[in-house]
Amino acid sequence: MRKSIYTVSALGFLALGAAAPAQAADQEAQLSVLHGVPDLTVDVWVNGERTLDDFVPGELAGPLALPAGEYTLAITAADAENADDPAIGPVDVQLESGGNYTAVANLDAEGNPTANLFTNDVSAIDAGKGKLTVRHTAAAPAVDVLAGGSAVIEGLSNPDEQTLTLDPGTISATVAAAGTTEPVIGPADVPVTEGTHTIVYAWGSLDDGNLAVAVQNIEGLHSAPGAVPGGRSGAAAETGPDYTSAAVAGGAVLLLLGAGAAARRKLAIRATK
Amino acid sequence: MPNTTTTTVARAGLLLSAVLVAAAGCAAPSQPAEGIMLAPAASDAAATPSAQSPGDTGTQPDGRDPNQAPTSETSVIPDPAAIPVHRALPAAASEKTPPTRLVVAGTSIDVSVVAVGIGAGNEMEIPDSVDRAGWYRHGPAPGDDAGTAVIAAHVDTLSGLAPFSELRQLRPDTQITVERADAETLTYRVSEVELMDKDQFDAAAVFRRGGKPQLKLVTCGGEWLDGRQDYSHNVVVTAVPD
Repeated sequence: MRKSIYTVSALGFLALGAAAPAQAADQEAQLSVLHGVPDLTVDVWVNGERTLDDFVPGELAGPLALPAGEYTLAITAADAENADDPAIGPVDVQLESGGNYTAVANLDAEGNPTANLFTNDVSAIDAGKGKLTVRHTAAAPAVDVLAGGSAVIEGLSNPDEQTLTLDPGTISATVAAAGTTEPVIGPADVPVTEGTHTIVYAWGSLDDGNLAVAVQNIEGLHSAPGAVPGGRSGAAAETGPDYTSAAVAGGAVLLLLGAGAAARRKLAIRATK
Repeated sequence: MPNTTTTTVARAGLLLSAVLVAAAGCAAPSQPAEGIMLAPAASDAAATPSAQSPGDTGTQPDGRDPNQAPTSETSVIPDPAAIPVHRALPAAASEKTPPTRLVVAGTSIDVSVVAVGIGAGNEMEIPDSVDRAGWYRHGPAPGDDAGTAVIAAHVDTLSGLAPFSELRQLRPDTQITVERADAETLTYRVSEVELMDKDQFDAAAVFRRGGKPQLKLVTCGGEWLDGRQDYSHNVVVTAVPD
């Protein structure tokens, strides 16, 4: 990233700002798996290979690093001999290079076991903020998510999701049927952490009285502040060549640019008269 | 042309070494207002339930049974034993030990330190008071195992100099002392003093969250630019644990 050289003619054409976010074309995909079907211990099969053994409701596995491509996921009863008679699936999923996914075994709104593949947003989060996504993967009608007594997400249906960008802190959240405030889940403390994407799953069954939340955290998505201000009056200003002496090359260019800008400003003023 | 040149007082002492700093594309304080608390940032459009209908996946185009395990040497599926599995519970809040006081030997810098975050324009918050510095609470704390703890303060007051104006003249090996709340005091040694053009502010390097532990003290320096009502540069002092 950084290089010291022993000359003043340091003309570096570093365009790392543009190059850094570019992802290698052959980057692996990240796949997590969440078990959100109550009362069912399962095995998870990927391309016919037993990948998760005795996977218990409320557990999160992974992430698995997989080459981009298509995979077949199947969920069987625990200790099935093979994936030929799946309880859920098989489903084919396409994992893109560099993508981040969570495959969820869950109940649909009517209570039937199913599977969903969610794409996780792993883009950089604004400095000082955290991201919170709520995913409805429960056998329940549309819900509202309430924080501090007011709805922050409204009318979320299985298998939809909604994302909020928030100040860090702990939210006391409840889930209620859409348009109501009587909790069906919670209140539950949900931490919002700076630079982390917290994904909350509502799972289980309203009719069976086993609604619950599961939480997945994707860390390391922070951004740095854009600048550090530190001046108010100019009282500490330096003048003369001493502080820019190492910056002759760059400084000269800046001066030229500055002169050009000033000239353009004058022209603009003249033009408006 | 788009290079950043910074003066460096290296530990070895001497001379003008131009330091190339990779512009990380974060210099522009042009971010609009902060995201509004609890405002939806995205709709539910991203939900992408995948093919759920069984039966459309019975056979591959080549007629191979997709549930047939491929030979092990071609498998890309991780060994089940190597896959982490845990209860999907909220992460435990990580407790940081905040710094409370900063003293730089041989200078007038003896200030209390308060935790700060992000202010207007995506900039690091700086305490107004002349005898206070701000520690960037979202990044590492002094004493953490990894990353750069950043403490910043104003270089001037409305009429004169503030203590951090002395950062510019710090010599290599100057001792820096950081007191912490309910934890032992830490000492650091200055390893580098940089003048970093604000137009080429290398935020990724200054606010590094990983790598070896360091302390960075940041203020303003260089010329006063009347048009911007701001200095041309940041002074960035890097110190390493003593």
